[in-house]
Amino acid sequence: MLWYKAWLETRARFLISLVGILFLCSYIVLHLEQEAVPGTLRSYYNYVLTEGYGMLVMVWVLAVTLLMMGGLLREHALGSASFTLGLPVSRRRLMMVRVGVGALEASAIAIIPTAAMCLIASIWGKPFSLSQNLFHLVLLLAGGAFFFAIALLVSSLVPGEYTAPVVAIGVLLLISVTLGDQKMRLFSPLEFMLGGEYLNRSSSLLVGPIPWVRAVLWVCLAALLTWTAVRVVDRKEF
Amino acid sequence: MFFKLNTSIGQPFYVQLMQQIRHAAESGALQDGDQLPGIRTLAEELVVSPNTVARAYSELEHEGLLELRQGSGAFLTIKRRARGLTERVQAASRKVEDLIHELHQEGLQDNEIWRLFETALFHRAEIGAE
Amino acid sequence: MNTTPVIETIGLSKTYGKTDAVCELNMRVMPNCITAFLGLNGAGKTTTIKMLLGMIRPSGGDAKVLGRQIDSSDESVELRRSVAYVSESQRLYDYMTVAQMIRFTQSFYPAWCVDTEKTLLRMYELPPNRKIKSLSKGMRRKLALLLAFARKPDLLILDEPSDGLDPVGIEQLLETLVSQCSTGTSIFFSSHQIAEVERVADRVCMIHKGRLVMDASLDDVRASYRQIDLVFNALPDEYELRMPGVERIESRGHQVRMIVSANVESVIERARAYYPSSTEVSPVGLREIFLDRVKEN
Repeated sequence: MLWYKAWLETRARFLISLVGILFLCSYIVLHLEQEAVPGTLRSYYNYVLTEGYGMLVMVWVLAVTLLMMGGLLREHALGSASFTLGLPVSRRRLMMVRVGVGALEASAIAIIPTAAMCLIASIWGKPFSLSQNLFHLVLLLAGGAFFFAIALLVSSLVPGEYTAPVVAIGVLLLISVTLGDQKMRLFSPLEFMLGGEYLNRSSSLLVGPIPWVRAVLWVCLAALLTWTAVRVVDRKEF
Repeated sequence: MFFKLNTSIGQPFYVQLMQQIRHAAESGALQDGDQLPGIRTLAEELVVSPNTVARAYSELEHEGLLELRQGSGAFLTIKRRARGLTERVQAASRKVEDLIHELHQEGLQDNEIWRLFETALFHRAEIGAE
Repeated sequence: MNTTPVIETIGLSKTYGKTDAVCELNMRVMPNCITAFLGLNGAGKTTTIKMLLGMIRPSGGDAKVLGRQIDSSDESVELRRSVAYVSESQRLYDYMTVAQMIRFTQSFYPAWCVDTEKTLLRMYELPPNRKIKSLSKGMRRKLALLLAFARKPDLLILDEPSDGLDPVGIEQLLETLVSQCSTGTSIFFSSHQIAEVERVADRVCMIHKGRLVMDASLDDVRASYRQIDLVFNALPDEYELRMPGVERIESRGHQVRMIVSANVESVIERARAYYPSSTEVSPVGLREIFLDRVKEN
């Protein structure tokens, strides 16, 4: 029933994010057509796809950050922590369930809109490439895992119902700003997710093989941060 | 039967309960063979710890006034010689009424008489406890 | 008769900076009893309880609940299978309905008793499909109690259980506590409502400034605590009357009032040596004993 509880706690945020992002993606696919410059190398679809993904990445990171707010520290602020901690479950299990549900939801709000974009493109007779979508998805999920874990860590360190999301968004901005510099591009998760390195400027296509090694590295870093968050909550006093 | 447990007299509840059961047996409110409520039932009715009721029943069983039958409950067993107690209590009751009347004549108020009895009984209990 | 304590603390301590919230607590709570935990606000009751349940880590000492170590994460989970904790400030999940909350809690306790659940649901008049956030404080408290009782715990720990309840609610609560105790649950509850404690408790543990100042059976306390009022023509020195068992002596004019916890006869004998013109012995209520214990030092 812990999964059920985690679902109930995040249900509203998840559905709002999903619906919002779906609308955003549909809009992108259907209306950004005007922005493309026909007759140039910058073909419609690839431009739309790249721009679309850019927006998707930003909104996704924000949505997942807010989605991962919660947990025992928030329960402590609301008063239910002493009930939850009185149940015969370890803190570790509580965290892992939250991580599990969060990961499923975060993946869903990446995969479903991507699939929707393909579907809408195909319905409206626009060309689309499954391999490009997959490439984008891998970059988003791997780099996104890092932001997922950062949000989890913030929710495990910062007490208070409203303080945690504010700090989380602050950390997000900090990461974007400090690692947004040209020289730091290699270390920026956001840049990885946007695929800047792999983008062919003229064709707007992601080229080359999918960078699995770097993707796995980002996921490992996320795992490390998650483990840290678990340890932090283990030692917390309520 | 009806019980009343008082927190402001210095007696453990189980002692009060025992006295009230004994008194009921002596005054005839409870007859030989009558069944007393089960421990859990009485505890819930009086809103006291079941251990209190259990102790009172167990001590009375030890004294021979109650018989605890496994599964059926507690039954009063008044032995032949205890029957004489009823008459003694009734005689004592008359003596107490006479004394109170006498003290009233001497000008003592009810609460003063009450305090005198309490003190005397406690003191006796303390000394008797040795 | 089972004599393993349900709660046993040995030198249990918790220090925050320079303050000792709990100091060298040596306490044993026995099974199948109703034990009351009395203390002023901030005396260390909640801190102690939270340490026992693994919410706070002790600074020193040791404790076992239902025979399991509190400082082992695994054993702590195990002991919580048979313990229920309800506190005054505790909230449940506002976003769940009453029915969802019950089903959720039930999933953790195989020994859940559906009869108790249904009986209490009826008695407390809880609407199953109402969201918890729209329940009154009293109703939420009753739901919390239902969730605690229905899981048939071996040990019930309650922190100010009558808070938020009206007199009828309190009466129902005490009846249910008594009923739970009859079926084998040990009860450990902290309370400010001394009247309630006096009615149902078998034992009383008093904590003051983090230390245990009393651990006694209520029967013994009732039988042995006395107030002695003496009137003297020639008032003896207070220290003449002081002896083991005398908790407090106060003199005013020709009168001396003593609170005695033991050896009442010896104290009276000693007083008699000074020829009091009047000696009155009366019982002492738990409230007076408690206030007396917490006012000193």
